[in-house]
Amino acid sequence: MSRADKIREAFAQSHGAHWHPTDAYSRAVWLGAGLVVAGMFLHQVEMVLFGVPLVLSVLLAHVPQGKPTVSVRPVPRGAGAGVVHTVAQVDGADAEIAVIKLPGGIKAVPAHSPDLPVEIRRDAWGPGVDLRLDHLFAGPDGMYVYGPIVGVEHVRTILPPVEHHPSGPLPPRPAGLVGIHRSPRAGDSTELRDIRVFQPGDRLKRIDWRVTTRTGALHVRERHAEADAEIVLALDTRTDVGVNVADWSSPHYGATTRPGGSLDRAVRRAASMAAGYLRQGDRVGLMDLSRPQLNVRSGVGRRHLMRIRTQLVVCVQAAGWASRVALRKLPHGCVVVLLSPFLDDEIAELAVQTRKHGHVVLAINTLPLPLKPDAETPWGEVAAEMIAAEHRLRLRRMAEHGVKVTREC
Amino acid sequence: MLMRLAIVLAALPVALILHLESDTVAPLVIVAALTVVSVLMPGSAGPALLIGYAALAMAFGDGHPLRLGVWLMIPALHLVHVTSALAAVVPVKTKIELAALKAPARRFAIVQAISFGVAAFAAFIPSGPDLGLVELLGLGSLTVVIAVVALRI
Repeated sequence: MSRADKIREAFAQSHGAHWHPTDAYSRAVWLGAGLVVAGMFLHQVEMVLFGVPLVLSVLLAHVPQGKPTVSVRPVPRGAGAGVVHTVAQVDGADAEIAVIKLPGGIKAVPAHSPDLPVEIRRDAWGPGVDLRLDHLFAGPDGMYVYGPIVGVEHVRTILPPVEHHPSGPLPPRPAGLVGIHRSPRAGDSTELRDIRVFQPGDRLKRIDWRVTTRTGALHVRERHAEADAEIVLALDTRTDVGVNVADWSSPHYGATTRPGGSLDRAVRRAASMAAGYLRQGDRVGLMDLSRPQLNVRSGVGRRHLMRIRTQLVVCVQAAGWASRVALRKLPHGCVVVLLSPFLDDEIAELAVQTRKHGHVVLAINTLPLPLKPDAETPWGEVAAEMIAAEHRLRLRRMAEHGVKVTREC
Repeated sequence: MLMRLAIVLAALPVALILHLESDTVAPLVIVAALTVVSVLMPGSAGPALLIGYAALAMAFGDGHPLRLGVWLMIPALHLVHVTSALAAVVPVKTKIELAALKAPARRFAIVQAISFGVAAFAAFIPSGPDLGLVELLGLGSLTVVIAVVALRI
């Protein structure tokens, strides 16, 4: 064993998940025994008396045994934002004091104390670490310690919140004959589509007697069919920008997205729209414009809403700049909802091309407006105005090509 | 912070006693410096140096071996040791529940009771170089203590 290995091993033995003596133990042993011995041989009773408490403290302190633990009652991983309460269970074994790093600060408690209440704050949606209880146990008089131990990480994923979103009329998808949107085809709804001459196969109850009497030929009333719509939520995850232009190039720490930023707004809006349309029975799909492997195929129902919200979190985790954006394998007749800050021409071009392919495209601008210029540079105001002007131009160009554009998210 | 403050409070009587027994401010300065080291680094050799210095200064100072200063110094030095030991395992900004200090306080009281018993025993036995039996008893006790400590190690 090399010298470095010996040093490493000695260092590892001085901490970690086992009971080991501290400097206080060495002090009590060597200083206590030294004072007593020296006092005896030098005939100095004071030294003996000063050494006796140290020696006694070693003799009264037993070597702790057992494996003390700190465990946490698990909290739901997918619960919403807010404050979540749980408890930390301390099993101190032979320890006397437990030092635990709780979310509110470090706390020293008796090793056999009852369950400790723990308050977890969940401020932002997305993945994150709820709790990690680093801890250390101290034996008698702090002469033995167990740890420090790095606690187990309790991770959580908070799904994007769903806000009430009024879902308006949409073009129905070509397939299917159920739903609430008016289909161009004939069907059984109450809305009148046409009055035409009776044909073999028409049901007798649909005969319009008034028109038949007036014209002398049998006429029937034809009604619209009702069908569900298909919506594809297309998310632009390449950029996440906030109101302050100065912060655009700097990373944001502490949350998955910038609070109130373009990506945060896009995800919240996408989750709310998905919930709104799924609630009325429409089919909803999700596409990540720069990462097609993260797409979610169209579906219906509450489980599908959970799938979309979960995938929104995954998309945001994988968010980052990509050179290309694409909408692949769009279902025929679907409505494309494009959520983007529209900061480059490529995304605007994609919206226009999708419209030209016959899809209804709704472009939702997620750029927080008005932009706040960088105050630290004299060109900040000009730069912000340039960005805003280009952005306006891009939206206007898309609108001219038939893309429905919303100015504000 | 509580444990660090406790070290200062325990070191105060030590500094005061040494200052009163000395003609110069040197002991006061030394104890103050060692207290600062102990407070900042309770896991270092600071507390040991503080206890060792105070013990030697008292032992080789003038006066009766069992004068009032010695009686006061016994719990004070032990308190420096205990508070330093606890401060070394508790981070600075730690909220300490007083219930957590109950066991160390109980042990401190027991140790002090025994220590004062030993001191009282030492006060009652006659002093002088011709007491071979007492010396033999002391050496025997020391041997037992060393053996027990050695077995614990």
